[in-house]
Order: sequence, then structure tokens, then C-alpha cells
Amino acid sequence: MPQTIAFYDRVDHALHDSSLQTALHRATSRFIGNRASAISALGDADRLRDQARAIRAHALAHLDELLPQLAANVEARGGHVCWASDGEEARQYIIELAHARGVRSIVKSKSMASEEIHLNEALEAAGFEVIETDLGEYIIQLAGETPSHIIAPAIHKTREQVSELFQQHLGMPPTTEVPLMIRTARQALRQRFLQADMGISGVNFGVADSGAIVIVENEGNARLSTTVPRIHVAIMGIERIVARLADLGVMLQVLARSATGQKLSVYTSLISGPARPGEEDGPEEFHLVLLDNGRSQILGGQYAESLLCIRCGACLNACPVYQAIGGHAYGSVYSGPIGAILTPLLQPDLPDAHLLPQASSLCGACQEVCPVRIAIPDMLLRHRADAVKAGKVNPVEKVAIAGYTLTMTHPAIYNAGGKAGRFFSRILARKGHFRRLPPPLHLWTKQRDFPALPPKSFRELWAERKNQRRSSS
Amino acid sequence: MSREQILAHLRTSLTANRPWLQAEAERMPHEPPPFALPAQDDLVGQFVAELVKLEGKAYRVVSADEALAIIDRLIEETQATSVIGWDLDQIGLPGLPELLAARGITPAKADVRGEGRKARLQALEPIPLCLSGVELAIAESGTLLLRHGPGKPRLASLLAPCHIAIVFHSQLVRGLGEALALLTQRYGDNIFGPTSNLTFITGPSRTADIEMTLSLGIHGPPQLHVIVVEG
Ligand code: SF4
Repeated sequence: MPQTIAFYDRVDHALHDSSLQTALHRATSRFIGNRASAISALGDADRLRDQARAIRAHALAHLDELLPQLAANVEARGGHVCWASDGEEARQYIIELAHARGVRSIVKSKSMASEEIHLNEALEAAGFEVIETDLGEYIIQLAGETPSHIIAPAIHKTREQVSELFQQHLGMPPTTEVPLMIRTARQALRQRFLQADMGISGVNFGVADSGAIVIVENEGNARLSTTVPRIHVAIMGIERIVARLADLGVMLQVLARSATGQKLSVYTSLISGPARPGEEDGPEEFHLVLLDNGRSQILGGQYAESLLCIRCGACLNACPVYQAIGGHAYGSVYSGPIGAILTPLLQPDLPDAHLLPQASSLCGACQEVCPVRIAIPDMLLRHRADAVKAGKVNPVEKVAIAGYTLTMTHPAIYNAGGKAGRFFSRILARKGHFRRLPPPLHLWTKQRDFPALPPKSFRELWAERKNQRRSSS
Repeated sequence: MSREQILAHLRTSLTANRPWLQAEAERMPHEPPPFALPAQDDLVGQFVAELVKLEGKAYRVVSADEALAIIDRLIEETQATSVIGWDLDQIGLPGLPELLAARGITPAKADVRGEGRKARLQALEPIPLCLSGVELAIAESGTLLLRHGPGKPRLASLLAPCHIAIVFHSQLVRGLGEALALLTQRYGDNIFGPTSNLTFITGPSRTADIEMTLSLGIHGPPQLHVIVVEG
């Protein structure tokens, strides 16, 4: 299966890309540290997370009432609402709108939903100029790549690589001084904002009782995108809703703390419709695109819990597999542990989608950090089971699993196998690790070192210990 | 048509999963805590400490005159001849109109509407100073809450590289939950009646997108000066 090889190739490539490895290590460890200190500074972090889960569960349980309420309130404030069953309907609505209003240039602030439906490509193909304005997104747009992390899309780029891009595209003099690079980007992007006709944003939460959408960010590009151009289009996955304004008192805190370790993000905008008559600025038109794209079906199945996700990115940073391979290797819009659950559901046509749930050691770190306590490992296992049922599992693995079952249920084979393994261990392993196992197990060691087996098994040590105890007492 | 289809799917899906979602929803009360961190006696002190941690500048002053002196100094430093600001009476700092007049500064009206929109934006872009009041300020996170609307443009905390915000002691609350409750108490369900936008601002614009190196001012103001007027 060529697709299968593609996923493993990407993983292989990522593991051997030394600048990616440096960047990933720097970034994920920084995120983890920030988050840990923010959570520990928070007296009752556990209670807030339990509340966040309850609030999101309530929203999903009443999605059929809350969505119409949100839409009605947006319309009452003079906004327009588009209900889009899939990406095609959403793209079509936005493209037609842009044509009808004589739009030429579009600025975008970060939106995973728009990535999910490949909006940029469609807008560009329709002849519009589309600029990503989040610095990380802008960098990868200049590089012609896709984001590798929900919160930090350019996490995989080193400053030298960014400097080169800015020299090439923005005429910046050679430098690796970050403040200078920031100033260059600010100036270049500012002009894009002032000349744009339309701003497109994502949505962190839709607030049903107020008819408001919430956008959380640190840079200010979302504020500019939703204030400066005369038309604002917001794209929201239909599950990203909360019932009441007061719910934000919980959600904004857990989101900021889990995402970046801040008490609150720098800018949180609550936007309800277009500018009112007496207002001096703000857009003249406001459009909210409610994107289903499979979500209404997921809600009825065994992965419904994944819809609680608030896209904070904490599970990515906590995941040892993500730390090692980064977001691109997943080959999908959503990466990391939650991406491995969502991708087979939201992008089932992606050839490697069924392999992503394998990219996990099921260590449980993701569930531990998740602000809405999603049972991520459980769902990864369910996906694996589904893939087996659908006959999508590769043959080596089947043999391995059969062997594992046999060994674990027959102690004699287990003991004999362990002894043989330990013997070969002493001969083959270097510095305690196999770099390469014999076929067919070489597929395993292609991307991982396999720890050499210890000289004595747990059972042997345990038996020895017991004997020692007995003799010393 | 899609609306009905989506809603029909949702209803079907919820017949299966509503019970357990509802059970999850009822495990905890949803009401946010008024504040999340251990309460401190000195709210102003807490606010200032939080803002300073975020690289914002904070000033505690006991009189309007002291506040004016700080504004005067910042006008000097930024060599401003104009400011993008709220209506001065909405900021409510006594002596501010006189100070600006003495400095020869006429506040620019944002006024970016209709045909001249892009030209107006270009005209505002070189102005070095933003000047605003606040609706509320949150002590435990160093946050400003701005309720925009007539006389209170969004650009007055966004466009220029330096933003000065005036906060009165009476506007300070402890936490986010308290701030949201107060908003509802003040405006009921008409919070968004006269305005399309509320913004919480917690420190100066920042990014860590280049190698996780913290940098200020990528899009919003790199400088945030908050003057807290006590007494
Ligand atoms: S699954 Fe949980 S931790 Fe991961 S992005 Fe979603 S909310 Fe955050």
C-alpha cells in the first residue's frame, strides 16, 4: 500500500530532520513548563476543568437548540448566518460573497476550520489574494507549507530559516535578531490589513445567549482582521458553542492556561454582528459560517466525546510521539493525539487517516493535561479496533499481536522467549538499545530504538528478592 | 435547506448520546467562580504586579494631576501631534482636554466607515498614540475590559504602537467571573445593544512564533501603559 509507506516515510523524515528536532524540543518543553506553572498557580485548577467539561457537555447535549439560538441572535444584531453541511457549501458561500462585494484582498487570522475545508486554496483559485496574518501562519505561508501545531503553527522553523524567508520575500537585510524580524513582519502585514476588503477569522466559542463569537489570541491580528476590513466572515465548527456568557468565566481561563500557560490570552474579543450605527469603526457586514462537515454525525457515535475539544493544543505538547515527530508527519489538518482521533472522522478520505491512531504509545499524558478531560487513549484504542475490523491493519502487526497473545497466555513460552531475547540482547544491543531489529521487526526499529532486554527478567528478580527476604528475616 | 438537514442530524445523534452528555453536564455547577486565585487585600497592587509580569507598564497615582503628568511625558516621548482616542468625556479624567489642547493635540476621530474607509485608515496609521478608558479591570490577571461603542472606537486600543489606558480604582474587580457578572448586572441582555465588540486586553501584543522567543508588538501595541487613579 503506497499510502502506508507515505505515513511511515514522513515519520522517518521528521525523526532525521535535525533542525525540526531542535525546534520541537525547544517549543514543546517550553509549553509544558508554562502550562505546569500556570496550573499550579491556580488554586482550584481541577475544579475549573471539571466545570469546563460540564459546560461543554451541556452545550453538546443541547446543540440542536443552542445553534438556532446563536443564529437567531446573530441575525437580530444585523449579522448573516450560513449553515454549511460541508466544506464545499462553506467555500461556495464565501467565494460568492467575495465576488458579489467586489473583494480583491483578504486577510485571515488563524482558523483550523478554514484549514479543514482548504479555504485558502479555493479562494486563491477563485482569484483572491489571501494573506495569513498570524505570524506563525504567515511564516509558513511564505514557505509554502502547512501548520504543524494548533497554537504554534511554525513551531518547526528555526530563526535562521525565518530570517531567510523574510530576506527573500520582504527584502529584510540579513539578520537573526528576532525584534528586527518582528518589526519587519509588523510593517509588511500592517499594510495588508489596511488594504484588505474582507477579514476571515475562526471562532473559539460561539455564545448562544448573546449572539456573540469569541476569538482568543495574543498577537492582535484577529482584532485587526475583524475590525479593519469592511466585511468580517467568521467560520465556526458547529460544536464550538457555549450556552451562556457566564460560561466564558470558566472556558477562557482553562483555554489560556492549557494552551500557553497564561492566565488569560492577550486579546479576547467578543463580537456580535457588524458595527452599530453610532460606532466609528468595525466591519459593516458580519457573516457567521456554521460548519458541520461530519460533526452532526460524530455527535451520535462512539467518538462524540471528541467534540468537547476546545483546541488548546495541550495534548500535543504532552504527547511523546508528537514531541518526536511534530505535526507535519501526521499529514492532516489536526495533529497530535486529538488529531489522531479527529482526522479519521473529519478527513476519512485521507489515505493514512486510519494509521494516525497508531501514532501513540497510549501513555495517557494527553488525557491528564486535557482541560475538558477527554478520554483520548480510549478513543485511540477504539479507532485501532475499528481499523482491524475494517481489515486495514498491516500483516506484520497481525502476526505480532497473535504472538503477543500466545506468549502472554502461556507462561512457559513467555519465559523461554524472554531468556532467548535477553541472550540476543547481550550480543546485539549497543549502549542498551537495539538500533535495528531483525526482520520483520525492523519496521518497528526503523523509527524507534528498541531497549535491550535487561539481563534478568522481572519474574527472576522477584523470585530472587523473595528468597533474599526470606533468608534475611 | 442545509440548516434543516444539520438540525435533523443533530436531533438523531442526540437521541443516542444526549443522556450521557446530560449526565456529564450535571456533574458540576456551571457558574464560574468570581475569582480563581487566593484573594489578596490590595487589589491595585495585585493588578499592577500582574501587568508588570506581562511587560506592561503600570502606574499607581493618587490624583488626576499625577496621571496627567504621566500622559504628558508619554506625549513627549512619542512626539505625538495627534492621538487615536475615546471621546475624552468617556475617559473621564479631569484636566485631560486642557492638557491635550495645551499640547496642540486634537484627538483624531476614528471614523472609518463607508467610501473613504481605506483612505481614513491610512491617515490614522502614522499616529503614535492610543488613549482609552476601560469598562472594568481585573486584578488577578492584569486584564482590561473595554466595552467599545459610540465614542469608544476599537482602534483606540489597537492601531498605534503605544496605548495609554486610564483605570479608576472603583473599576477594579478581582476576577473574570466577577467581571462578567457585573457586565450582566449593568446591561442585562443588552450588553451588545449599542456595541458590536467587547475586548479583554491582558498585556501588550505578543508572539512567540519565532523559536518561542517572546517578542512584543507584532500586531497590537508593543507598549501598554495603564494608569490606575486611586482616591
Ligand atoms: S483534546 Fe483536550 S488537550 Fe487536546 S486540544 Fe482538545 S481540549 Fe486541548
